[in-house]
Amino acid sequence: MIHVRHLSHSFGPHLVIQNCTFSLGKGDFLFLSGPSGAGKTTLLRLLYAALPSQIGEISVAGVDLRGIRGRAVADLRRQVGVVFQDFKILPLRTVQANIALPLQVRGLVSPHIERRVRAVARALGLESRLGLPCGGLSGGEQQRVAIARAFVVNPKVLLADEPTGNLDPELSFRLMELFKQFQAYGATVIFATHSRELIRRHPSARVMRLEEGAIIHANWPGARVSSAGGEEGIDASPPLSLDGRDEFARSSP
Amino acid sequence: MIRMVARLIRQGVTDLALNPWTQLLTLMGVTLVTFLAGLFLMALLTLDSQLGAVRGETAFQVYWHPGMDMTLVREQWENFRHMPDFAAATTFTPEEALRELGSRLGRSHGGKGELARDFPFLGEGSPLPATALVSFAPVEEDTAAWVSQIEDFLKNLPGVERVIATPLRDELGQAWRKVSRYVLFPSLGFLALILGLLVGNTIRLSLLGKAYEIEILHMVGAYSWYIRLPLVVGGALQGLAGGALALGLLRLLHLRIRDALNFPPLLAEIVFPPLEMCLALVLVPAVTGMLASRLAVRG
Ligand SMILES: Nc1ncnc2c1ncn2[C@@H]1O[C@H](COP(=O)(O)OP(=O)(O)OP(=O)(O)O)[C@@H](O)[C@H]1O
Ligand SMILES: [Mg+2]
Repeated sequence: MIHVRHLSHSFGPHLVIQNCTFSLGKGDFLFLSGPSGAGKTTLLRLLYAALPSQIGEISVAGVDLRGIRGRAVADLRRQVGVVFQDFKILPLRTVQANIALPLQVRGLVSPHIERRVRAVARALGLESRLGLPCGGLSGGEQQRVAIARAFVVNPKVLLADEPTGNLDPELSFRLMELFKQFQAYGATVIFATHSRELIRRHPSARVMRLEEGAIIHANWPGARVSSAGGEEGIDASPPLSLDGRDEFARSSP
Repeated sequence: MIRMVARLIRQGVTDLALNPWTQLLTLMGVTLVTFLAGLFLMALLTLDSQLGAVRGETAFQVYWHPGMDMTLVREQWENFRHMPDFAAATTFTPEEALRELGSRLGRSHGGKGELARDFPFLGEGSPLPATALVSFAPVEEDTAAWVSQIEDFLKNLPGVERVIATPLRDELGQAWRKVSRYVLFPSLGFLALILGLLVGNTIRLSLLGKAYEIEILHMVGAYSWYIRLPLVVGGALQGLAGGALALGLLRLLHLRIRDALNFPPLLAEIVFPPLEMCLALVLVPAVTGMLASRLAVRG
């Protein structure tokens, strides 16, 4: 579903993504972690063609993103749901209008749109807010609107950039369940987060850690750690550290 | 598909209400720029009509048949004074003409003798016809037609034998007219260009506030035409509304100042732009509004 090979990206002289190679299949769930400035957002932006690919190969949902332009970009984004780190919701429009946006863009008819929007809003606890303008919502509510807008189209690929950054732990755990549901229906999910706690709670998920644009850790064979020694070795080490595994043992039911 | 297009057009209209103040300011900007262009156009047209109008006098020498009934002739003389563009008339009855001729001859002979004494066969009655020199100061575009028209009128007066028209001396006016032909049309084109640039830029600026929305639409997979359509409709509407408003203001102003310059010696009536120029004043902002919106989406 997602294939990335020897991908590099630089802003001017500043190399932000360095020789990343990994691939994810249908129904895979990946936690993308790493310190601030590691390049998580940049990698995601490359995956939905918000940045032009420079070096390396990249394909998403069967679409080769090299040199992709115009209508093909729009077609790609119709298969990819994105939750933006900065939400990107329209403050003057209502919650309903914001969530409905991707459906309207696809030319769906209003009764259908309304049904889908209502269902997603209910799942995210936004049903009572549907008529309000988004500008007046709390940070957490706005974030949920951003998530709802990505969910509403049932995307094949779901890219979420810190989607629980503004939520209390309790709510973020509940939201995680929704993401997992998407995965269960066959969506490929990349979930960028700083939260070790979230990662610990989902030991079966794939985890990839970026630092300064390089993959320094990954827990499945489809990813290649760009270690100092070379790019050949596939890191098959268990997820996180030993004490991390203890955490998993404790938190899993 | 058609329903989607209809919805997008409707959205273009209703979106204007989302940022009422921005839209209002843009509308004011468009209106004022168009109004200024209209004012300039009015000044240009008034100037042109003034340059086009002939300045100067033309004179007609009119000869009646000798022995005409003078009461009839005097009546005609009186009527001349009521003709349009009448400037002045010098009239001679046959006797006056004879006296005038005599005094000239006498002067040229250096003597003071009476004509009757030198030419006793002339007797009491003058053999000369009644004559008049009538001048007009026309304000006309087509002077040649006007001159021949007046000439025909005078010729057909009862008792008139012949009319000699002196050609109108209006070289300055003619020259100005030629120049203004070269000036007016390029000026109009230039005006349309400035109007387009200013209106376009105003609307483009107002669209900066929409950059965020445009970005989001791109992110959720909207095709370009889907993004453009409401913006283009909105831009066209703003241009149209601004142009119409400006035209209304211009009309009001014109009603108030139409005769502000209409006194001697200017006698200039301020010209309101003709229909096709009024249309241009509305359509140029509308079209540039559309184009500017289109360009703004690209940027
Ligand atoms: N448009 C850009 N122009 C120049 N530099 C950029 C641009 N976008 C990102 N960068 C740089 O790239 C690096 C990686 O940024 P990125 O946003 O991908 O980090 P991140 O891992 O998402 O961080 P965070 O966890 O804080 O969101 C940073 O050093 C950032 O300054
Ligand atoms: Mg980021």
